[in-house]
Amino acid sequence: MFMLERRMDISRKASSLFVLLSLLLAFFVTGLIFHLLGVDVAQFYSTICNVFITPALLLQAVFRSIPIILASLGLVVAFRMGFWNIGAEGQIYLGMIAATGIVILHVSYGAIPASLMLVAMGVASFLAGGAWCLIPASLKVRLGVNEVLTTLMLNYIAMLFTDYLVYGPWRDPEGWGFALSIPFPEYATLKYCGNPSTVGIVISVAVAGFVYFLFKYTKLGFTLSVLGKSSDVAKYAGMQAGRATLLGSIISGGMAGLGGLYVVSGMMGRLRPRASPGYGYTAIIVAMLVQLNPWLILPAGVFFGGLLTAGDALQSSLRLPFSAITVFQSVIFLCIILAEFFRRYRVVLRRL
Amino acid sequence: MSLEWVGSVLAGTTSVGVVYLLGSLGEIYAERSGILNLGLEGIMALGAATSFITTIAWGHAVAFFVAGVLGILMGLLLAFFTVSLRLNQIAVGLAITMLGSGLSGFIAFPTTRKTILRALNPELPSTALEAQSAPMLPSAPLPFLKDVPIAGPMLFNHNPVVYVSLILAPTMWFLLFRTSVGLKIRSVGENPGMADALGINVFRIRYLTCMLSGAFSAMAGAYLILGFQPFWIEGITGGRGFITLSLIILSAWSPLRAVFGSLLFGGIEVLQYRLQLFGFGAASPQFVLMLPYAIAVITLSLLSIESFRKRISAPAALAKPYYREE
Repeated sequence: MFMLERRMDISRKASSLFVLLSLLLAFFVTGLIFHLLGVDVAQFYSTICNVFITPALLLQAVFRSIPIILASLGLVVAFRMGFWNIGAEGQIYLGMIAATGIVILHVSYGAIPASLMLVAMGVASFLAGGAWCLIPASLKVRLGVNEVLTTLMLNYIAMLFTDYLVYGPWRDPEGWGFALSIPFPEYATLKYCGNPSTVGIVISVAVAGFVYFLFKYTKLGFTLSVLGKSSDVAKYAGMQAGRATLLGSIISGGMAGLGGLYVVSGMMGRLRPRASPGYGYTAIIVAMLVQLNPWLILPAGVFFGGLLTAGDALQSSLRLPFSAITVFQSVIFLCIILAEFFRRYRVVLRRL
Repeated sequence: MSLEWVGSVLAGTTSVGVVYLLGSLGEIYAERSGILNLGLEGIMALGAATSFITTIAWGHAVAFFVAGVLGILMGLLLAFFTVSLRLNQIAVGLAITMLGSGLSGFIAFPTTRKTILRALNPELPSTALEAQSAPMLPSAPLPFLKDVPIAGPMLFNHNPVVYVSLILAPTMWFLLFRTSVGLKIRSVGENPGMADALGINVFRIRYLTCMLSGAFSAMAGAYLILGFQPFWIEGITGGRGFITLSLIILSAWSPLRAVFGSLLFGGIEVLQYRLQLFGFGAASPQFVLMLPYAIAVITLSLLSIESFRKRISAPAALAKPYYREE
């Protein structure tokens, strides 16, 4: 008879080993599913591997990973404080909206000087993403509304609101009727500061450093980790749990908002409907894969950015739908969760 | 507003509402036993995609059966992860939602769909291989009853799946609240430790309710495409699974009240189309499309207010893994 024994603690090495094994398992299971569905599995994997050994494609992977990484860093903050923020997708959209709003304020009304544009866009997208996450957080703190469903619902609302803006008031009058905002002037794009990928890497490393610093050295970070372990302990220790949750949620959503800024200002140069192919959902998988370690999010994010890049290649080479990548991602997600089990328990054979 | 107009709105309300009702009936059992199936959205999508394909290949009855079986398999996956391995239900549910949405998009994609259809039924004509929509369930109006004003079009002029769902709701309410099996399910969700001590097999009950929830979610998806919206588009469920989870809270985890919750959200959806016909929101239909999500957030918040919360209490062990102390 199999019995489960709870592990008291587990070495870092063993823990990483489980995660790596779970990734291998994910490759195997995905291969099996696709084989059953009649896909050429060898070519599927070689297309994916190709992304990581071809410099141009690898650069593309890094490029596409930036919004995932930023949103994922935000999720680290939320998950560490025990707040199930599944709303990164919506918070990314709010970031896009705010950044575009600043551009429109500037172009149509001359409200903001050109030299301050990127700073203003950064602040606005952070605040907008943060505010979007603050809604479910304050509902949770004030009324005890479970955040899982509210953050999910707000994703749909944010996406539809973006649709409204680009189909309606923000549609480019010279855009030939397409649902697009006006193109951003050059000083409102990240090209202004250098190569967008490099800029993205610099921002990501800085934000990862911030998250690391937050939890390592600040009182807020400490409060948040205690909250994540047990809200009762936090309460009895006299911590201001409510205030910390609200602050943490602003930081969490704000980082996703920065991811949105990167999408419009670094990648597209304008706002489009459905501009995110689920960066906010992929970010959840990334955060869990690295067990909420901010530094490891960088390479893990690039891996998932690579999967998105491979998704485009699969469409042309194997004529596979993009959802092939969604399947792969979700199997990885399930296997990561499975690794959590082996980290927590030891399976022992025992005679009854 | 003529009587006919009211009748047609109500008929639409029922026909959308059944999507929610089917989804919620199974899920209420799961939640009553302490399992939150956040995978509902993805299983619904998978049910819609498979029934879309199998209907073209083999017809309606088989389609519902296949969707149900796949739903049971997804439910087993959920049970294995959350009941046996005691893993976090929210994480597992999200992963299952992603898996279901991914697989549904994959198998219903035109090229893969064609391959699958050919394998399922080599005799299909090429028009069927290319079809963008599934043949809908035939309507089966009930004689005499269908002519009753208001109630007739609302309840008695639909396809058989609607009637079955409407009969299932009170049946499943009775099973849950008036039989010993129902008592067992509820006690497992309230206090699994006590239930276990009384000799109820907590694990078996939770496995069963997971499978039930999976089957019903998938059949809700099958009904969505066969009974309501026959055209396949990726992301066909559009958050209806998540809305189902919200309306269960609104229905206080009762299969009977879920009928009203489902009709409420069905009605909101029908009004969306009607409002657009009236020119309301014609320029910016997005605000009308936001309604169900916004209303879900608002109702969830209102229900959390102290005085409401006392009256409807969630199963105490909801989303908590159970293990015996050893």
